[in-house]
Amino acid sequence: MTLLRDPEEVETRYLHNLSDLAGRRVLEIGCGDGRLTWRYALAAGYVVGIDLNPISLLKAQQECQPDLRSKVTFALANSLALPFPPKLFDVAVLAWSL
Amino acid sequence: MVHALQEIRRILVPGGILIDLRPVADHWLVEVATAQDSWEVGRVQDLPAGLADDAAAVEALAYMSQAGWFVLEQTEIFDFLYYWDTPEEMQAYISEQWEDFIALPAEVLTNIQAIWANSATGSRVRVRLKMLIAMWRKRPVN
Repeated sequence: MTLLRDPEEVETRYLHNLSDLAGRRVLEIGCGDGRLTWRYALAAGYVVGIDLNPISLLKAQQECQPDLRSKVTFALANSLALPFPPKLFDVAVLAWSL
Repeated sequence: MVHALQEIRRILVPGGILIDLRPVADHWLVEVATAQDSWEVGRVQDLPAGLADDAAAVEALAYMSQAGWFVLEQTEIFDFLYYWDTPEEMQAYISEQWEDFIALPAEVLTNIQAIWANSATGSRVRVRLKMLIAMWRKRPVN
């Protein structure tokens, strides 16, 4: 099956138009396989993607490009108990997860 | 949901940004598309679980706003397209991935199969999701 999701990248344009992610420390909640992450991570300062699905997270880790590995991390975590200290991030993205 | 929003508030710096990006139920359009044209064929049926999710999100955000945790700065609505090569692939995906949220009425499937079969080689079928993106800013501690 060939499935294309937003090949026009409309979502990406809206995300970048709405907020300036350049250099920001970003937490993406519900990152899944990283589909959205790859569309802004290069501009961000640092990205942590969390999800409850370990299979999706494994795919995201495997597909992480070499130039992003120093600034993108994926973790199995629940948004009800975020495993981070206070005031660590500039931006939180609820990616199809509210 | 409210507890998750409270957690997000905790890990954001003062003045930090929360971006809420999600599809919202709206009887999404089903279409046949070529590289040049597209045809609206019908709409999906919204199911109770999807409508309940939307309502719960609205309720949680309202609580968050009234509690003074975040201030809404901007909201936009846009279309997000899912494409499949055939109507059968679309039907299978909807049944497997979105079974609790939307249904494809039988008459819409019949119509899209007929239109797709008579369209140019390489035509695809697609669903036009309604997306919401909103930017909220964390308020200083009261």
